[in-house]
Formats: sequence, C-alpha cells, structure tokens
Amino acid sequence: MKRTRILAGATAASLALGLAACSSGDDGGGGGGDGDGAALGFYTDKAAWEPSFDAMNEVSGADGSTLEFTGYSDSTAYDSFIKQSFRTKQVPDLFTWHTGSSLAELVDQGLVAETTDLWTQAEADGLVPEGLKDNYTYDGKQYCVPLNVAYWAVYYNKKVFADHDIEVPTTFEEMMAAAEKLKGEGVTPFHQMNIIFEFVWFQALLAGNAPETYEGLQTGDASYLDPEVVEVMDQWKQMIDDGYYNDPGVTTDPQTLLKNGDVAMAYFGTFLTGQLTDVGAKSGEDYGIFPMPSMNPASGDQTVLETGPLCVGKGSENEQAALDYSAWWMTDEAQKTWSSSRGDVSFNPNVTVEDPELQKLVDGVTGGDTTIQQRYLEANPLPVYTLSTEIFGDFVTNAPDPMPGLQRLQDEADTYWAEQG
Amino acid sequence: MPHRTTVTTPPGAAEPAAPPVVPEGETTMTATAAPPRPPTSAERPARRPRATYRWSARGFALPAVLVVALLLYVPFVWTSYLSLTEYNGLGDPELVGLAKYQEMLTDAGFLNSLLNTVFWVVGTLVLPVGLGLVIAVLAYGLKASFWYRLPFLLPYAISGVAVGVIWTFVLQTGGALDEALGLFGVTDPPRWLLDAPLNTFVMIAAATWQGAGVNALLFTIGLQSIPKEPLEAARLDGASGWTMFRTMTWPMLTPLTTVVVGLSIVGSLKQFDIIWAMTKGGPGVSSETLALTMYKDTFVENDYGLGAAVAVFLTVVTVAASVLYLRRQLSGARES
Repeated sequence: MKRTRILAGATAASLALGLAACSSGDDGGGGGGDGDGAALGFYTDKAAWEPSFDAMNEVSGADGSTLEFTGYSDSTAYDSFIKQSFRTKQVPDLFTWHTGSSLAELVDQGLVAETTDLWTQAEADGLVPEGLKDNYTYDGKQYCVPLNVAYWAVYYNKKVFADHDIEVPTTFEEMMAAAEKLKGEGVTPFHQMNIIFEFVWFQALLAGNAPETYEGLQTGDASYLDPEVVEVMDQWKQMIDDGYYNDPGVTTDPQTLLKNGDVAMAYFGTFLTGQLTDVGAKSGEDYGIFPMPSMNPASGDQTVLETGPLCVGKGSENEQAALDYSAWWMTDEAQKTWSSSRGDVSFNPNVTVEDPELQKLVDGVTGGDTTIQQRYLEANPLPVYTLSTEIFGDFVTNAPDPMPGLQRLQDEADTYWAEQG
Repeated sequence: MPHRTTVTTPPGAAEPAAPPVVPEGETTMTATAAPPRPPTSAERPARRPRATYRWSARGFALPAVLVVALLLYVPFVWTSYLSLTEYNGLGDPELVGLAKYQEMLTDAGFLNSLLNTVFWVVGTLVLPVGLGLVIAVLAYGLKASFWYRLPFLLPYAISGVAVGVIWTFVLQTGGALDEALGLFGVTDPPRWLLDAPLNTFVMIAAATWQGAGVNALLFTIGLQSIPKEPLEAARLDGASGWTMFRTMTWPMLTPLTTVVVGLSIVGSLKQFDIIWAMTKGGPGVSSETLALTMYKDTFVENDYGLGAAVAVFLTVVTVAASVLYLRRQLSGARES
C-alpha cells in the first residue's frame, strides 16, 4: 500500500515536472524592452567566437544594445533549435544563420525581419562591397546583414616552399608544376577532406574552368553533364590518382597538417587564419596565402566568397533594437573591433586587417579584375548539395569514374528544378 | 483494514462452535493478511476483486499511463503523421500520402543503410554476445574471476561517443593500428574507416570492445543462478568440458540468453553514437545505419517527412524483431 502510494506520488511528480518544463518557455530570456540599451537575446552556432562577441559588447555597451550570448558548437542541433524557437513565443532577437537555401526557407515563412533600408544606407555609406548584397537578396528585398565574410584561397607552408625552391604560383600551370615537384620530393602537395569540405576542389576547379557553368548550376541553366564539368572531374581525378592529395583517412586538422608541412598547400576560407593562429603558426613567417589560380586562364580571376548572416527574428521582443544593432554592426567602428578581435578580414572596405598576408589577398581579390563567386554549399539547392556531399565524399576517397556520380547529381537537379516550375 | 478479518479467535477463548463468518468479498484480504504459507493450487484466490478496488487500481496506474501516452505514444503518432508529409521544420507539414515511403524504398542510400544495419545486428549477436559468453564461462569458478572480467567491463563505463573518438585515433589512416602494423612490416594496411563494408566491420569491433564486458557480467549472473545439483549429477555421469557446456550449462542459461540477445538486437538496430563519432556515416553514406539515415534525413537535410518515414520503418522493424524473438523464446521456455 505504502509502496504504491510512493510510486503514485513519484509518477505524479514526474508528470508535474514534465508539464512545468513544457510551459517554462514563457519566462526568462531577453528582457530589456525596446529601444536603446537593450540586452538582445543572441544565438549562434559559433560558440568558439564568444570572446569576439564579448569584445563587441564592450564597444557597443556604452550607448547601444549588447548581446546576451548563447553559443552552440553543433550546428545541426543549433539549426533545429532555431527552427523550433520560431514555433514558440520566444523568437530570437538576433541569430546567426547560413545564406542560400537555408535563409530562403526562413524568408519564405516570413520569419526574419527585412533589412532593405539598412542595406541601402550601408551601400550609400560605402560600408559593404559590391556584390555582397546578392547573398542577402530574395525577391528584390534584403534580409539579415553580413556577420562575416571569408575569401577562399590557397594557404601554403612557406618553409616547404623554400626548402623545395618553389615560387608562389600565379597560374594553374605553375601550381601543377609545383605539385609535381613536391610530389617527386616526397611532400604531399594539397590538402583535401572527404567530409564537411569535400566539395571545395570541385568549386575551385569549376569556378576557374568555366565560371558561367559554375553559376549555371546554381540556377538550373547548366548541367552536371556539361563538358566543362566533366573536364573538371577528370582533372580532379588525375590529381588524386597522381597522389597530389593527402589520404582522406587522416583526420588530423588541416591547420596542423599545413603547419607541420605534412601538406604544402590547403585551399580554404580565410577563417583558416584563426585556426592556424590557434596552433601557433604565424602569418607571413610560417605560412602565406595566394588566390587560387583559374584552371582555364581565359576565365579570368575567380574568387569564392563565403558569408554568414546575422539575422533579426521577425516579431521578436527587441526587434527594433536588434535592427539598430544590425545597422551598427556594419559600421567602421564595429567592423574594426570585429576584425582585430577575430584576426580576420572584414566585409567593410574601410577596415584593414592587421595581418599583411590577409590584407594582400583582400587587396588582390577586391581590386576589380576578380569575379566574386558564391560558395558551392550555399549557392546550390539543398537537395543537390546534400547529394553532392555523398558523391564528392566518395570521389575524394576512391576517385571512381566520375560519370555515374555526375549523372545522379544531374537527376537530382532536374527533379529540383522541375519542382520549382 | 486487515485487522477486521484476522481477529477470529480471541486468545484464550474456548474453541468456537462454528467457523467465523467472513463477509463476502473479504477473502482476498484474508489471504494477503494471513501468515505466509505456500499457497496450494486448490486455494488460489479465484474470485474477482471488488469493483471499487479495481477502480482505485486504475487510478493509481493512470499517472503512469498518462506519462507513457504523452512521452511515447503521442510522439509516435506525430512521427507517423509526419512521415506522410512534406515538411522542412518550418511552417506547416503538407500531406503527400505515401510518397516519402516510396522515396525511401527507392533510395540506394537507404538500402545500403538497411544492409549495414543487418551487419550490425548479426555482428553484435556474434561478437559482443558471443565473446561475453566466452568470457563469462571461462572466468566462472576461477579464483579472482572478478579481476578477469573487470578489464572487459571497464569500457562499458565510457560513453559511445568517447569510444568512437578513441577508436578513430586507432583506426584512422596512419593511426595507432597502422603504426603498429608498420612495426611488423605491413606497409600498405587496409583503409579501415574508408572502405565499405570494412568500416562497418571495424566499428562493430569497437562496439564489441565496449559491449562484451556487460554481456559477460549478465552471463555470469546467469551462471551463478544455475542450481548446482544437476551439474553435480551430470559430472558424476562423466560429463565435462564441452559436453557439459552444451548439454547442461547452455540450456540452463536460456532465460538469460533470451534477455541478452533481445537487448542486443534492439541495441544494434538503433546503433548511432559510435558510428556518428567515427565516420558520421561516411565516406558518402557507406557506413550509415538506419538510425543515422533517420537523423541525417531529418536534421541535416531538413526532410522531416523522409526522416519520419525511416523512423517509422525502424520502429516497426525493432518492435517486430523483439516481439517475434521474445515470443518464440518464451513459448519455447513454456513448452520445455
């Protein structure tokens, strides 16, 4: 009898606890109210960047709003958290997201606040480079502001280049010659991996071989079976077969491989600079950066730009304050703080980065002759990109005949574009 | 309450002329309140309990039933509904009938996951369960057998993700295993985590490292519960070693084997953490299992409908496998 009562009590308590947990969504969080000086609920999957967001709070804290930081380190868990939060009353004031189809989904559902006015003002003030806006434009309107940008370029180990008497290549031919020489002398020329960044060599080679085709794939105007794409896959396969890449089974971080000279070159976004700094490699001394040369010189210089958005949840508690904060985010003051705290490039052309290698790269790729391309991941339809992780992951690992994979990608793309009408 | 029925004869009173009158419906209470006495089949309480008693029993069970319904059945019904929809986690799900199941069954990746899951089920039955049995039998009865079992049991205390990380260090290209093989002159070792189905096999080995110990522990408990007399009798009849195990120990272990195998089937069908930590299902989808496919379809590819279809499939398979296996085992036990 007594035992049953205890059991029943425990069950009731656990039930009550569960109900309490379900209903606790309404309290806590945000606070502050509208207007200046609000504490903005801020969510991001870039948990490791917390010190930089703290640094921003020190600058903005005096007269503006500050961020109340919640960081995730697992981006899948983060994405589903953000999506779920839109089903509750607790819409995030500010959150980081991804451009491309992921942002399109939120825009379609009317979940993010429009920022067209902010962009118009920022362009008038010269705070954003040309072309960046395209990443944030849906049906002619802008949503979110750029949190950060990264240019994709080739990082190289200076000591390895010096030891093997190799000049920094300026053409694709020179880069291949350098790779051949390094290979012959027992050094793995290039880094690549079969997860997360399995698509990047496809991106680099195709953007450099046939930029129109690279862009055409994003709009359904080009095919994965086009000869330009096949050329790229053949070239890539040749490079894998020739042993130009590290074994993809090595799970050591790229920054460590590059720093130790286990690979001579790594094609990465400029976020790699921060990771190299973390392992004690010095820019300009241990490593340098050069733009990826185009596989077909006639294509002209192409550089891939990746950008991550900072978005305002529509209908959030501090929506206006969050929009004001977004406008401030693009200013010289904010971007100087951000750039020096991250040691990374800023999208704001008025802000120079202290790292000379990075600055040289930025000067080169924003100098006028270079065409800026979007990163493959964000630029392509999600189902096609998702399939590409499987196909390219397998390609990096086993270098099979590329045609069946390309056929599957094209089938997936056909299905997607047919659904779009 | 019981005191009412137990007081039948005051101490020191004369022998009553007639048996005490027990009110209708109080017989069971008498039975429970009576001093412990092995019940015989003749006096099994056969009468139905009073209606109020049954209602109060239902009242006590209700909170638990509610919790189960709320936490298990409602999500399952919701997932089943989602599997009939097109849904990306935002807005409202859109009914598409059985399209997601069709998509699932015609997807090469899904069929590959299914095959890998079969590898896992079979592999887990053979290795962690088989090895657990071997360890238990070999160590049983030895002096300090605890110390023989302990090293096998320790990995069980580590989380699956940590096991995955440890084994990644061992199995990655140029990792600990490759270096060790290098000492023996093997210059071109297999690509453990890159080539399918080898990557699934080595991950089953990692799971074995973690799981064999606890199976050994369970089998040891089973061995301890076997009565000594039949074994002694068999020994007197000249049985020993393999014959002893095959004809005596193994049949008497059946109840525990049923539990261990049942748990192992369910566990392997939903295997996730070690694979997620070691290969994330890759390269490509070559080492995905159904649990990984379900997770990736839902949360990585944002195709909640497809993920839900895989989840429903996985649930049906798991429940069917458990029910079929347990029913067969338990009915077998009843017959014997």
